[in-house]
Amino acid sequence: MEAIAQKIREAAKRLLSEGKVDVVIGYAKGTVPMREYPYFAYTPEEAENLTWSSFCCNNLALYTIRRPGRMAVVAQGCVSRNLVNLINENQFKRDDLYVIGVNSPGMVDRRKVQALFPGKTITEVIEEPEHLLVKGQGFEERLERKKVFRSNCLTCVQRNPVISDEMIGEVGPEGHGGNIDKVAAPWEKLVPAERWTEMQETLKDCIRCYACRDACPLCYCHVCFVDEAQPQWCGKTQDEADVATFHILRAFHCAGRCTDCGACESACPQGIKMRRLTSKIEKDIRALYGYRPGMEIGAQPPMSLFKPNDPQDFIK
Amino acid sequence: MFARRRFAVLKNLLEYVGIEPGRLHFSWISSAEAEKFQKTVAAVTEDVKALGPAQHMIKDIRKVA
Amino acid sequence: MSENAEFSPRIAAFLCNWCSYGAADLAGVSRLQYPPNIQVIRIPCTGRMSPKFILAAFRKGVDGVWVSG
Ligand code: SF4
Ligand code: SF4
Ligand code: SF4
Repeated sequence: MEAIAQKIREAAKRLLSEGKVDVVIGYAKGTVPMREYPYFAYTPEEAENLTWSSFCCNNLALYTIRRPGRMAVVAQGCVSRNLVNLINENQFKRDDLYVIGVNSPGMVDRRKVQALFPGKTITEVIEEPEHLLVKGQGFEERLERKKVFRSNCLTCVQRNPVISDEMIGEVGPEGHGGNIDKVAAPWEKLVPAERWTEMQETLKDCIRCYACRDACPLCYCHVCFVDEAQPQWCGKTQDEADVATFHILRAFHCAGRCTDCGACESACPQGIKMRRLTSKIEKDIRALYGYRPGMEIGAQPPMSLFKPNDPQDFIK
Repeated sequence: MFARRRFAVLKNLLEYVGIEPGRLHFSWISSAEAEKFQKTVAAVTEDVKALGPAQHMIKDIRKVA
Repeated sequence: MSENAEFSPRIAAFLCNWCSYGAADLAGVSRLQYPPNIQVIRIPCTGRMSPKFILAAFRKGVDGVWVSG
């Protein structure tokens, strides 16, 4: 990890001092362990702060939106797919973007780590190739990274960037062995009433802070439907109808665009598994229209396209 | 036709979260097909009737704090 | 509604101006009988239909939604 971080810093310094880009968007070490945050390096000195670890959970593609000038972005598989999405959605030109590609090691869910040490404060996490050394006052334990992966990283299919101008480290294997279709499966077995209860159970702690939306690189509307007041599509309360409306419509707006990067779940302060909804759509889009978002520049988004023989058995 | 894709995905999603399939209907009826219209209205009404009143997505003002 | 009265659903019908709305019109002038449960909302084209409308209808308390192009 540290070797890769070092190479990212070198690349960033070179790009900034040569004046090739105006900003390098990457990750910096958080003030507490396991909280790496998005970092914008404008000068070669600032590039010193860039890092790379198991906790780079934000999706940096988000920060390219409406940003003038040339930018370089540190991108693992999912981030690069979202960058491709944004290029396809005409948010910026490929030429304005410099991709510093990294093979994703799979990111770790800090909640899963913390859950293993209830009531204890973790003061340091040291990265090892396949393990994490977690330290705190009076304890020290070595965890297998794979056991504490974020759930979306387990089912990832694209760890290498799909576009990159410069590859840091080796091109690694794709996938971590999980099956993405299984994410939606637990609900598909249930009868409608149980599904509704399950959804309520999943979403019941949502405080409508919209951190999931703000962390998502697909949600860049000037005015989001939840903020529209006339007509008001979605009430402001925590009533189940309002919460369900928000999550259903947001998931639907991600149809054919979501790359299952997991930034939404990682951002949620309440630990809500809203990917239950987006993964279902991801699966349907793949089954119905054979499309995976963000795999290729110039691909037509499936929801702005149609074929004469699209499935329509549900229409009378 | 874009609508068709939109509806396909939406219907799947709503069924997935537990809206009964019979509550949401789609059909293509041309302006010359009055009989199809009549039959479809009857069929849709029948289906929804069989399901009883809708329970979900309704904001109960008494429950909202 | 009294206990034993038959349940009479309310259905929001989103009809395309050029297709189903025309069909409804024709059904009317042809004196075809159909159940009175639908409340028709005319849309300029099925392409105008947004998922928001469907959820909004459910939130307003309809028992079913029918979209027809
Ligand atoms: S939830 Fe929908 S309306 Fe809101 S920002 Fe995301 S895509 Fe836009
Ligand atoms: S909805 Fe979540 S998983 Fe999908 S692209 Fe947005 S942040 Fe990533
Ligand atoms: S981040 Fe979590 S709590 Fe906040 S609106 Fe999204 S799901 Fe709800």
